[in-house]
Amino acid sequence: MEFASEIGQTLVLAATEGGEEEGGSFLVSPGLGLMIWTLLVFGFTMWVLSKVAFPRIQEALDKRAKLIAESIESAERAKQESEELTAEYRARLTEAREQADDIVARARKAADTAKAQATEEGKDKREELLAAARRDIEAETRRSLERIRKQVADLTVLTTEKVTRKSLDDADHRKLVDDALSEVDFASLAPEESKG
Amino acid sequence: MSRKIKILLGVGVYFAVIIAIGLIFGSDGKNESFQPQNEFKLEPWVHIKIAGIDLSINKAVLYLVLASAATVATMVWISRRMADKPNRVQTAVELAYDLTRNNITGGNLDRTMAIKWFPFLATLFFWIWFSNIIGYLPLPTNTEHPVDILGVEVPAFALYAATANISIPLVLTLVVWFSYHYEGVRHKGFFPYLKSWLPSGIEDMPFAFKAFVFVIECISHFVRLISLSVRLFANILAGHLLLLFMGGGLAVLLGLAALGALTFPMAFVFFVFEVGLVATLQAFIFSTLSAIYIGGAVAESH
Repeated sequence: MEFASEIGQTLVLAATEGGEEEGGSFLVSPGLGLMIWTLLVFGFTMWVLSKVAFPRIQEALDKRAKLIAESIESAERAKQESEELTAEYRARLTEAREQADDIVARARKAADTAKAQATEEGKDKREELLAAARRDIEAETRRSLERIRKQVADLTVLTTEKVTRKSLDDADHRKLVDDALSEVDFASLAPEESKG
Repeated sequence: MSRKIKILLGVGVYFAVIIAIGLIFGSDGKNESFQPQNEFKLEPWVHIKIAGIDLSINKAVLYLVLASAATVATMVWISRRMADKPNRVQTAVELAYDLTRNNITGGNLDRTMAIKWFPFLATLFFWIWFSNIIGYLPLPTNTEHPVDILGVEVPAFALYAATANISIPLVLTLVVWFSYHYEGVRHKGFFPYLKSWLPSGIEDMPFAFKAFVFVIECISHFVRLISLSVRLFANILAGHLLLLFMGGGLAVLLGLAALGALTFPMAFVFFVFEVGLVATLQAFIFSTLSAIYIGGAVAESH
């Protein structure tokens, strides 16, 4: 320390005294006193900054970094949630649409079935009615033919009696009727079926 | 007319006008009494002498204290009102803080070393920066030429900077120099640390060659003392001298008052250059080199 202070003294002396005589040499002559002052002041500054300023600034910056990270995270979470919701709604929508389509298809099918059934039933009924009508007509025709045949027979007998003035015996009677009937064409009056 | 010709012509006209002024007005004779370097001379204001060391308070001590006060006040003030949504000042301080932490310290030191040395390196940056900037504020510190205002002698306003005095960058450099040697020895041991100075690739060379390289490395380590301190000191001193000469010193020195009208705009340009670039750049370079030296001392390979 003694040695150092001696050097410092010499330098300071050189700085203060040499200045005037040697022009600007004091500019590059270090002074020990000033160096000590520098160490003191710089040390104090460093102490205060490292105790008070730097930790607080770092803390605030860390806090903000954390805040930003959290904000980004929560935003991402919200985004993911909304995406999940959207997907769910979309799935539900698709499901509902499928169900609706299904319902419509089923209804259409039911309607078609009902229509077909109704048509079938109608057809059956119509045919039944037609058949009944045909049966009636046939029966009526047959009855009419029978009646005509009988009347023709009676008329034949009567006419023959009138013409011959004699009553016919049973054999004659039968022969006459058959002859008459064979001459009369009933075929055109009979229904289609009875023809064949 | 190309840009180059325009610039040359502008410079030519500028010098022509200077010469013309010199011829027209003539010199009043060279001013011998004005000593520009005395702007940087330290007059002891309060004489203090402890254990044979001259600890007198002078202009440089005032600037040291001012720089320290500005640094502490700004940083503490900002740190107490750190808002989540920063204003401009806070953003600027945060940027500077980030620069010191992630670029200067984090970029040159590993994690544990960065945590250990961050306060020192960051303080270096901020303190040198404030010191440089205060150096561009005119303050009433020139007691050599007091001004008489209403019978009261007030020191003239002058520019000065703590960093324009060799003692201050030198002592900071010494702290850095001893710190990085200390870290080197602590990490590697004394002799391995000295050995690590040798660059890789010369292991197979003869001993004499290695000794020669070692001497060169020793010299380079001592040169760092000068290069680191003088870089800062000379940059700031040169800036102030330029401002002094351009701001009127040259006109006074040459006894050519009219010249001042031409040099003064140059002073303005240099002032912007110094405040805008040199002050920050030199603070950055000083602290970055300090970090590189400390990092280099503990690095595995040299």
